[in-house]
Amino acid sequence: MKQLIELTINNRVYEVPVSPKDLLADVIRDKVGLTGTKKGCGQGDCGACTVLIDGNPVLSCLTLAIACQGRKITTIEGLVAEDGQLHPIQQAYVDHGAVQCGFCTPGMILTSKALLDRNPKPSEEEIKRGISGNICRCTGYKKIVEAIFAAGETISTEGVK
Amino acid sequence: MYLNNFEYFAPETPGEALDLVARMGNKAKVLAGGTDLLIMMKEKMIQPEYLIDINNVKEFKGISYEPGKGAVIGAATKISEVEHSPVIRDKYFALHQAAGELGSAQVRAMATIGGNSCHASPAAETPTPLVAFGAKIVISSVSGDRELPLEEFILGNRKNALAEGELLTQFILPEPAPKSASRYWYIGLRDAMEIDAVNMAVNMVLENDGRTVKDLRLVMGSVSPRPLVSVEVPGILVGKEFNSELVEKAAQAAAGEAKPISDIRASAEYRREVTAVLARRLLQQAFDAAREV
Repeated sequence: MKQLIELTINNRVYEVPVSPKDLLADVIRDKVGLTGTKKGCGQGDCGACTVLIDGNPVLSCLTLAIACQGRKITTIEGLVAEDGQLHPIQQAYVDHGAVQCGFCTPGMILTSKALLDRNPKPSEEEIKRGISGNICRCTGYKKIVEAIFAAGETISTEGVK
Repeated sequence: MYLNNFEYFAPETPGEALDLVARMGNKAKVLAGGTDLLIMMKEKMIQPEYLIDINNVKEFKGISYEPGKGAVIGAATKISEVEHSPVIRDKYFALHQAAGELGSAQVRAMATIGGNSCHASPAAETPTPLVAFGAKIVISSVSGDRELPLEEFILGNRKNALAEGELLTQFILPEPAPKSASRYWYIGLRDAMEIDAVNMAVNMVLENDGRTVKDLRLVMGSVSPRPLVSVEVPGILVGKEFNSELVEKAAQAAAGEAKPISDIRASAEYRREVTAVLARRLLQQAFDAAREV
């Protein structure tokens, strides 16, 4: 049976009808219409569906939408500033050629954000460990690691506007 | 990859949660992190009629520590909170290490320490150090609480000692002994997001001389259906001055006690071999660290 719930996504409140079994990834994509969040393996292995819940990186394919009421959900669409300016992490991915086919990118960037929020100056090893739950099948990891490293530098020197 | 239909409950107090668990019994599953449960549901291994989400019960979450008494960890505490807790890092280092090696950043942000033990995978990370610390668990129900050593709770592959209407609510870790240290490590096919082929934790206490082993627990994971507490290794080292000859003997004894199987991740022969390697390394590391305390 469907019930109406409120989800706070990117600081906007959405009223959506859901069944208890509806997964957050499907609700974000199909009911809210934010298709930046990707669904890959559906089993929590690939990280493509990563979103931030209260700042923590979470697999939206293994999260019930109904369990997210009252939480603050951030998807890739929520990183862009109101004037359209990319978040420093997004800009670093662009600048370093860290986007190839792009399917892993939203999840990869949100995982990067959670990592940098906790540790703005991670070592290469810490970055590799931090993104180990996000699979890139184009295998562009080297550029991704470089982008995260650069984004960390930018954020710690200039801050996020 | 879809879930069956179920009814969803999100209790906010321990009383409400235990009442739901009592009323719904085996038709319900408890949702903690969901990183194992929802996969089992997607694969149609289980199709519960009710899910009881315990994440809104604040009494089931968090880490508290009282000097001289030890730590209490709520069963619904996220693995990432255990990983980043200064007191766990300081007092229960092997648990800090194991929490940091579980799954990915995402899995650690979702999965709970209680779920890791309740799911009772032989390859689970956190039960190994918890058993090495002599952790007890609190099992709650509407009729009250009972305590059990964790090694008596995990009965085998995906089997735990919860009776119908019971919920795992807390882990109680005793205060570490003076001059003691713990270490954890694992061997797997890759560095991250792997399922351990073998994991191990050592918790060692030294006499005041800094050389003699006063007490020792060595626990092996993934080489038996449940965490395997070595009987032979303490027999070899306790009461003796630590030296490389005894370590070698202890490492071989641990390998002899392991009861590994061959599967997709490793052969039994390889697991036995690396059990000795891990034992040798961790005994030395724990000894070196305990001397510094």
